[in-house]
Amino acid sequence: MSFKSAVITFPGSNCDRDALCYLKDLTKGEVHNIWHEETSLPKVDLVILPGGFSFGDYLRSGAMASKSKIIDEVVKHANDNRYLLGICNGFQILTEIGLLEGALIRNKKLKFLGKNCFIKKKFKNNFNLSIKDKQVLQIPVAHNEGNFYCDTETLNLLKNNEQIAFEYCKGEFSNTEENINGSIEAIAGITNKKKNVLGMMPHPERAYSDFHQSQDGRLIIESLIS
Amino acid sequence: MNEELILQHGLTLDEFQVIRKYLNRDLSIEELGIFSAMWNEHCCYKTSKKWLKKLPTDNEIVIQGPGENAGVIDLQDNDGIAFKIESHNHPSYIEPFNGSATGVGGILRDIFTMGARPIATLDSIRFGLIETEKTKYLLNGVVHGIGHYGNCIGIPNIGGECEFESTYDFNNLVNAMAVGHVQKDKIFYSKPKSIGGLIVYIGSKTGKDGIHGASMASDVFSEEDEDEKRPSVQVGDPFMEKLLMEGCLELMSSGLIESMQDMGAAGITSSSVEMASKGNVGVYINLDKVPLRQPLSAYEILLSESQERMLAVIDKKNNHKVREILQKWQIDYEVIGEITDTKRVVFESNNKKVVDLPVEIIVDDAPEYDREFYIPRKRKNKDFDFSKIKLEDMITNLLTNLNYLDKSWVFDQYDSTVMGDTIREPGQSSGIVKIHGTQKVIGASTDCNPLYIRINPYEGMKYTVAESYRNLIACNINPLAITNNLNFASPLDPNIMGELVLSIHGLKTAAVKFNTPIVSGNVSLYNQTNEIPIKPTPVIGMVGSNMDLNKINTNKFCEIGNKILILGKQLTKNFSPYLLQDQKIAFNICEFNDLDVLDLDFEKKIANCVLELSDLKCIMSCNDISRGGIFSALLKMQYKDMGFRIKVPDPIDLFCEYSAGYVIEIRSKDFEEVTSFLTKKGAEYLDIGEIIKEGIQINSKKFDYFDIMNKYRNDFEKIIS
Repeated sequence: MSFKSAVITFPGSNCDRDALCYLKDLTKGEVHNIWHEETSLPKVDLVILPGGFSFGDYLRSGAMASKSKIIDEVVKHANDNRYLLGICNGFQILTEIGLLEGALIRNKKLKFLGKNCFIKKKFKNNFNLSIKDKQVLQIPVAHNEGNFYCDTETLNLLKNNEQIAFEYCKGEFSNTEENINGSIEAIAGITNKKKNVLGMMPHPERAYSDFHQSQDGRLIIESLIS
Repeated sequence: MNEELILQHGLTLDEFQVIRKYLNRDLSIEELGIFSAMWNEHCCYKTSKKWLKKLPTDNEIVIQGPGENAGVIDLQDNDGIAFKIESHNHPSYIEPFNGSATGVGGILRDIFTMGARPIATLDSIRFGLIETEKTKYLLNGVVHGIGHYGNCIGIPNIGGECEFESTYDFNNLVNAMAVGHVQKDKIFYSKPKSIGGLIVYIGSKTGKDGIHGASMASDVFSEEDEDEKRPSVQVGDPFMEKLLMEGCLELMSSGLIESMQDMGAAGITSSSVEMASKGNVGVYINLDKVPLRQPLSAYEILLSESQERMLAVIDKKNNHKVREILQKWQIDYEVIGEITDTKRVVFESNNKKVVDLPVEIIVDDAPEYDREFYIPRKRKNKDFDFSKIKLEDMITNLLTNLNYLDKSWVFDQYDSTVMGDTIREPGQSSGIVKIHGTQKVIGASTDCNPLYIRINPYEGMKYTVAESYRNLIACNINPLAITNNLNFASPLDPNIMGELVLSIHGLKTAAVKFNTPIVSGNVSLYNQTNEIPIKPTPVIGMVGSNMDLNKINTNKFCEIGNKILILGKQLTKNFSPYLLQDQKIAFNICEFNDLDVLDLDFEKKIANCVLELSDLKCIMSCNDISRGGIFSALLKMQYKDMGFRIKVPDPIDLFCEYSAGYVIEIRSKDFEEVTSFLTKKGAEYLDIGEIIKEGIQINSKKFDYFDIMNKYRNDFEKIIS
C-alpha cells in the first residue's frame, strides 16, 4: 500500500513547497496540497503543517492559522490516529490548536536563528523509529520563536508519558551549542500523548537531498514508512 | 510659481525654466511633484547617465539589459535568471529596521515584476566604527530588518558583505540584491501591449509613508534632518508582499497580465510614467479610484511610496478572472485607468485634470549633466618599515578587527535554507542555490574595495570586479553578468565626480575582459553628512552558473593530510593597502602607495586553471585570497576542527593581498598531476603545507587552535554588544 500524505498551505506559509518535495521524493506516494480554506481533507496517512509565517505571525505565531477552516479536518485526522507533523510554524500552530502542550516563545537571545542544529531522540515513537539511540542528527533551524516553554507540571507529564521526541545537543565538533534557543530541557520536538502528532522546530525537509548539507531529515519519513 | 517651492522640490531654477518653456504655462503643484520625483538622481540618473552609457550591457546571453525592473540572462533551455541590486542607504540611516526591510521588499518586487520567482537575496551592508552606540543601533536594526523581511517572505539569504569603517559613521550603506528564476518564454516587461488596456492597482492601500522618498534619497544630509525625515521612510509588511508575490506570479502564469510595474521609488508617478514611456503610449489614471488607507490629496497619492503595491495592464476581458485570483490571496485590486494613444500622462482627481503632461518632457527631456571632474594626482612611492611587525601581533590585529571575524552573528539572523535549494551557507566566498527541479546552480557574490578605489578609482574598481570573479571561480561557478550599485558622495565635488567616472571606466575594462556585461544597477549619490563624504563604494553583484551541481567546490577543508597550494601573484607589502591599514602601518589616505596594475589576462588564466582542475575533481576545497591575505582565507576554510601546518618565506606574506589569489586543497596522490598541469599552463604555485587536526602551525611556531578559532568565531558578537 502506498503512503499518502498532504501539506496544508496557509497565507504566509513558505515551506509548503519544500514539504511537498520532501514527501514526493521520499514517500513516492500520492501527495496533496490543501489550501487553508478547504473544508475537507483526503484520507491520507500523514498531514504536514509546514513552516513559514502563516498570516504574517500577526497576533502570535500560529494563532490565526489555528482558527482556519481546514483545522477541524486536521483535528479529525489526528483523532483518527493518523500522523500529523508540524514543522516550525506548524509546531506553533499545533500548540495554538491545543493538540500539543506548551508554547514556543522567543529565542533566548531574542534574535532569529537560521543555522544548523544538532538533535537526538529522547523517547521512542513512530516518527523516530529509524533513528538510533544517541545518534546525532544535523538539521537546520530557522525561527524567531522556537524556545519551547511549559510549566513544571506539564514538563513532568511530557516526561512521564515519554512525549519528548527530540532534544538539542552538541555536535561532534567544537563550534556547536548544546541548547541553541534556550528551550526548557533543550526540547526540540514533542508528541501528543498518543504519539501520532509531532511538532518540531528543526526543518527535516531542508536536510534530505544529496546536495543538502545533511541527509538526516530522511530518517523521519523512513521511520513512518517502515 | 515661487522659487522656494521649486527648490524645495529638489529642482534647480534652470531645470524649472526648461519645463516652463516647454509647456508654455504654469505648473500645477501635482505636476511640480511629478518633476520633483522624475528628475532627481534616483529616477533619471542625471549625473551618471553620460558615464553609465559606456558600460558593456550586452552579449550572447543577455536577454534584458538595464532599463527594465531587472536584468535577465539566459541559462540555457527555458531558464532565465533575473537579478538586480538596489540601495536603501538614506532610509536605513534614519530608521534602520524599516529602511532595510523595505529595501529588501523593493528589490524582490523588481524581480517578480519580471515574472521571475525570487530564489535568493544578498546584502552588502557597511557601517561606521562599532565604538559608537549609534553604529550598534544601526547594525542591529539593519540586520533585523533584512532578516525579518526576507525570512518572512521565505526567500533564502545566501550572502553578501558586512564591513565597518569610519567613513560610514554618518552614512551607512544598505544595498540589497535579489536573484530570480524565470521561464524565458514568460518574461514580463513594463511595456504595455495595447491601447485601451486597463491599468489596475494591485496590493496594499496607499498611505502617507514615503512621500518624497526618492528625492530624499538624492539629498545631502545634515544631522538635524534625521528626526524630521523619519516620516519619509516607508514601512514594510512582508506578509503582504508574500501574498502579492504569489498573487502576481499566479496572474502571470495564467496569462492574465499584459505588463507590470512595481510602484517603487516615486510610487504611482514613476510606474505609470515609465509604462507610458516604454510603450510610447499615454496613460489616463483616475486618482479617486486608488485604494487609500487614509484621506490623501492628489499630490500625496502621486508621491506616496507605500510598499507592496503594483501597477499592471490587463485586457478588459480578463478583469473578472484577475479579481477572482487576487481575492483568493486577499489582495486589494482596483481598475484605476487605461492606456491611451495620447502620449500624455493624465491624472484626474475630483473630475479635474490635475496633471496633463506629454511623456516626452518628463522622460526624454530629463536633464543630463556633464559634471566637472578631477583625475586623482599620481602618488609618490613610499617604503614602509615592516621590521617591527611580529607574527603574533599580526594575528592579534586581525582577530580584533570586526572586518576579519566570522560574521555568523549577522548571517544566522537570516534564513539561508528556506526553499530547500541552498547549496552553500552565507559567509562563504559565494552563495549558491539550485534552480528548482534542475541540476543547474546559480552562484552570486557582492563585493567592493572602497580603500582600493579611493587610492586609485580605475585600478581599484578592476580589483573589485576581480574579487567577485574569484569568489565565483573558487566555487567552480562560471561568472556570467553583473549588477552594480554605485554609492558615492556628492558629485558636485569634482574629486568625487572623478572617482565616479574613473571607477565606471574600471568597471567597463574588467567587465569587457571577463565577458560579464552589466545588466542592471542603481546609483546612490550624495552619501555625505556634515560635509564628510563616504569613500567611493561602487558595489557590484556578480552572478554565475554551473550546469552541474555535483561539480561545484566547497570552501571548507575536506580531509586531514591533504595538501594546501597557493595560486596567483602576491602584491608586494608596500602595495597591499589593507595590510598597511589593518596592521596599523598606514592610515592617512595620502600615505598609501598606488595600486599595482591588475593584469586581467593573468586573472583569467589562473581562473581557467581553477575551473579545469575543479572539473577534473582535483580540487577538494578552494577559497579566494582577498583582504587579510592567505591567513584570513585559511581561517575561513576551517571546518570540523581541521587546521593547518604551513611554511612561508616571510610571515608577513601571509597577510599580503593577491591578484588571482586562490588557496586550493588537493589530495597528496593528485599532487603530481596538479602541479604538472599548473606548470604546463605556466601558472606558478606555492606548496605551503597541509591540513592537520586541531592545530595551527606557521613556520614551526605552534598556535592554540581553539584559542584562535574561538576568537575568530565568537568575538564579533562580543565586540558589537
